[in-house]
Amino acid sequence: MKLTTRNRFAVTVASAAAAGLVLAGCSSDVNDTAATTEAATTEATTEESVAPAEVAMADCGDWTIAMHGWVGYTASAQVLAEVAKSDLGCNITQTKLDEAAVTYDAMEAGSADVIVEDWGGGRWQDWIDRGAIVDVGSNGNVGLIGMYVPAWMVDEYPDIIDGTKLNDYVDLFKTPESGNKGAWYEGPPGYTTVGQKIIDSYGLDYKAINVGSEQALLDLFEKGQADKKPVLGYFWEPNYFLAKIDMVRVNFPANDWTDAAVASGKTDYPALDLEKLISSKLADSGSPFATLVTNFTWTNADQNSVALDIEDGMTPEEAAQKWIAANPDVVAGWMS
Amino acid sequence: MEWWIKLKSSKLFWVGVILLAWIAATNVFYGKSSTELSTLTNTPMSDWFSLGMEYIRNNRYTNPVFVYVINPIRSFVEIFVDVIRFVISSPSGSNVIPLVGWLGTLSVVGYLVYATSRLRFAILAMALLLGCGVLGMWMFTMDTLAMTLGAVLLSLAIGLPIGIWAGLSDRVMNAIRPILDLAQILPTLVYLAPLALVFLIGVAAATVATMIYSIPIAVRITAHAIRSLRTGPLEAAESMGSTRIQTLKKVQLPMAKRTIILGVNQTTLAALSFVVIAALIGAPGLGLPVIDSLMIRDVGGGFLAGGAVVLLAIMLDRSTSAAVEFSDSSDFLDEKAKSRRRMGLIIGGVSTIAAIFVSRNMLWAAVFPNQLDVSEPVSEWISSAALWVTDTFSFFTVGFYEAFTVSVLNPLESGLTGAPWFVTVIAVTIFAVLVGGFRVSIVALIMMLLIFSTGLWFDTMVTLSQVLVAGVVVLVIGVVLGVFTGRSERFAQFIRPFLDAGQTLPAFVYLIPVLALFGPTRFAAIVCGIFYASPIVIRIVADGVRGVSTNMMEAATSMGSSRFQSIYKVQLPASKRSVLLGANQGLIFILAVIVIGAYVGAGGLGYLVIAGLSKPEIQGKGIAAGVAIVALGVVLDRIAHAAAHREPKRLSVSKS
Repeated sequence: MKLTTRNRFAVTVASAAAAGLVLAGCSSDVNDTAATTEAATTEATTEESVAPAEVAMADCGDWTIAMHGWVGYTASAQVLAEVAKSDLGCNITQTKLDEAAVTYDAMEAGSADVIVEDWGGGRWQDWIDRGAIVDVGSNGNVGLIGMYVPAWMVDEYPDIIDGTKLNDYVDLFKTPESGNKGAWYEGPPGYTTVGQKIIDSYGLDYKAINVGSEQALLDLFEKGQADKKPVLGYFWEPNYFLAKIDMVRVNFPANDWTDAAVASGKTDYPALDLEKLISSKLADSGSPFATLVTNFTWTNADQNSVALDIEDGMTPEEAAQKWIAANPDVVAGWMS
Repeated sequence: MEWWIKLKSSKLFWVGVILLAWIAATNVFYGKSSTELSTLTNTPMSDWFSLGMEYIRNNRYTNPVFVYVINPIRSFVEIFVDVIRFVISSPSGSNVIPLVGWLGTLSVVGYLVYATSRLRFAILAMALLLGCGVLGMWMFTMDTLAMTLGAVLLSLAIGLPIGIWAGLSDRVMNAIRPILDLAQILPTLVYLAPLALVFLIGVAAATVATMIYSIPIAVRITAHAIRSLRTGPLEAAESMGSTRIQTLKKVQLPMAKRTIILGVNQTTLAALSFVVIAALIGAPGLGLPVIDSLMIRDVGGGFLAGGAVVLLAIMLDRSTSAAVEFSDSSDFLDEKAKSRRRMGLIIGGVSTIAAIFVSRNMLWAAVFPNQLDVSEPVSEWISSAALWVTDTFSFFTVGFYEAFTVSVLNPLESGLTGAPWFVTVIAVTIFAVLVGGFRVSIVALIMMLLIFSTGLWFDTMVTLSQVLVAGVVVLVIGVVLGVFTGRSERFAQFIRPFLDAGQTLPAFVYLIPVLALFGPTRFAAIVCGIFYASPIVIRIVADGVRGVSTNMMEAATSMGSSRFQSIYKVQLPASKRSVLLGANQGLIFILAVIVIGAYVGAGGLGYLVIAGLSKPEIQGKGIAAGVAIVALGVVLDRIAHAAAHREPKRLSVSKS
């Protein structure tokens, strides 16, 4: 038959279709063999992970952990994921999502199931009222956000740690980006921040500059301490970084709020119990994963050590597994 | 007083007058009617949006519009794309590897390209795709390919019928043209938040966002194809006595097919270019490693991911272009070539089936082998090279950045933000009348009043200051390099790969090295805008310069003008229209990047959009900021567009 353009196209389509049918029928799926080897998971782990087929404890199910954008979160979430996969045989997917409403909406829609560390102080109440989310308690970490300055500044200007006196030091913090005002480096847009409110309520002559990411803040503080440059920046505990670079917290009057949306700006950030949130789908399922998440708890020091390993170059999986191997008793305590 | 009369009639003079008047008024009334607003304070319009969003949240599962329209659409789109992903990349679920492993996918792509063009394009396509795998990005590439394919198919399914309708009816075309224009100048970041709200973060929202961007292209090209079939060729064919069927077979279908394949080409590239941004609302694929690299300042990682995007873009572009080229020439092959090709197709078909079979049974053929993966050494090398550049040139870069910011950017920003809003509005309106005409000035006025009503005038001025600075620099670079490119074929050859890469690299990828060099500053955002917009301006100006007729050039040289004079006095004025068109395109590109620049400290409207995405208390403000960005884009676009089209196409010989 003459192979005109049209015929050629038809041949292509027909062969592809035939091939598809043949393949669907005959060949075995290398999915089964691959599931038990590690090679398959190395590239796929950034987007998903899979439990080895042999340790299939029934009924754990497929669950999604929302991944937020800071290393401490990754540390907690990865440990949770590794325990769920190896000890419970769960099928865990880790999806990158922004904090707050974005993730709460996703949980309501069923595309995310677990937030392992939420700093929101109750901002999820509307979703709880609608029956979409369940608060399963604190994860054991206590979070404290604040404005920090490099330690050398406290030696030279002792009362700089009193936030209400910051107007005396505006000249120190002036940069081309902030013009005539001092530079107040604020947390990335997805983070819980009330810096602008504080600036407004105290009439501080500072400009809140958003540097976009945790890494950018780290760079600023590193330079600040190394080059003895004045830096006033947003930071938080728990964070492995505080052990590496000497930074001191600037204090404002005692805190009186937990939900940033209603903060007046006159008071400091709260020392928060960081909460775990799960979707009602997970809560109602009776899966052992729900129990695991509810029982999951560890200290700031624990999180910092895993985070430090990740920063030093280990993959999150390796760092998590290292911690799990070193703390079997803690892990066992989560299982009951 | 002849010079006075000449001066009075010169547009440039009056523009200068307006500028001086504006500066004077700003100095006198500085700070009065300031519209500065704290970031976390809402305005009436943003409150209104917030209420709307609250409503959507509360009624997402009960409101009939959602239940019967939006949610089914979301499910459908998600399933559609997931099916494709199921075949070539692994969707979330219990599968470790996709239905067809990497070897199989590679072979299928190669075969398809071979079947629609020639062997050498198939080899090129496979090599480029292999390159993506070698960079360690195979799975992400497959996800992106699946997303792009899904978006293109859906865009064509919607765009083709609309395009045909618009092609057949002038009224329809005129009705939808403003919508098409708007969709193409909307900076992408703006409609992400509303889409994420309506469709929820994920594949569906990302695909719909991509479709908003690529459907207009499909519609435009199809309408153009239908239009060009309605007249000339048809009449010619009929006058030569062909029957309806003959006309259809021999004239209409071939012409239509060629244009439709061109439409597929353009739609595919548009969809692919959306890839990275779409990752912000849950699109799987190459966008994820790009954004990750940005967040952790990994220049090497960003290079790998960006490189994979470029390779994929080149592959899709060359393959679909080749399909266009060979869509109608295959009938002219001689008998020997035809039978050789037949053989080739059969052999190729069999090998492809074999490859698919192997990739389903052998692990090495299913998952891209680590041995071929050079990502780590490449990434490390690039990162250390970047570090070296940053350290070595830091004195220069930091010094330049500080000098520039203090002497140019800060004064401009404080001028624009300090000027009472109505002074600026009046100045811009008069400027629009002068440069573009009465109708454009009305549009500009309405848009500016819209911006004011969002309550975000101050932030708009912050963003505008950055756009203007970048715009001026891009114009200078574009004209200088464009003239070079237009005049010298050798230079054009040299610069072409840079222009190609510049147009396919997603804007985000530029941010990463620029961030390393200049830190998180407005300056970094401006530099990014310059890099991103220059290629297109250079191309357009070069085109215009080349279009200046050789007669004119010869006349100029024969009258003794030097090279500089012939550039300055002949080529530039004759291509003024192209320069203005380039400025138009450039401004839109710059606006898009400046908005993204908020990720690295640019502030302004972009920051509000991004912050609104994740802070419930100012989500309404984020949407309002989106409205302001669009309005600003329309003002810039319409003024530049009108200015370009008022220029006569050719330099008239009578005037001096």
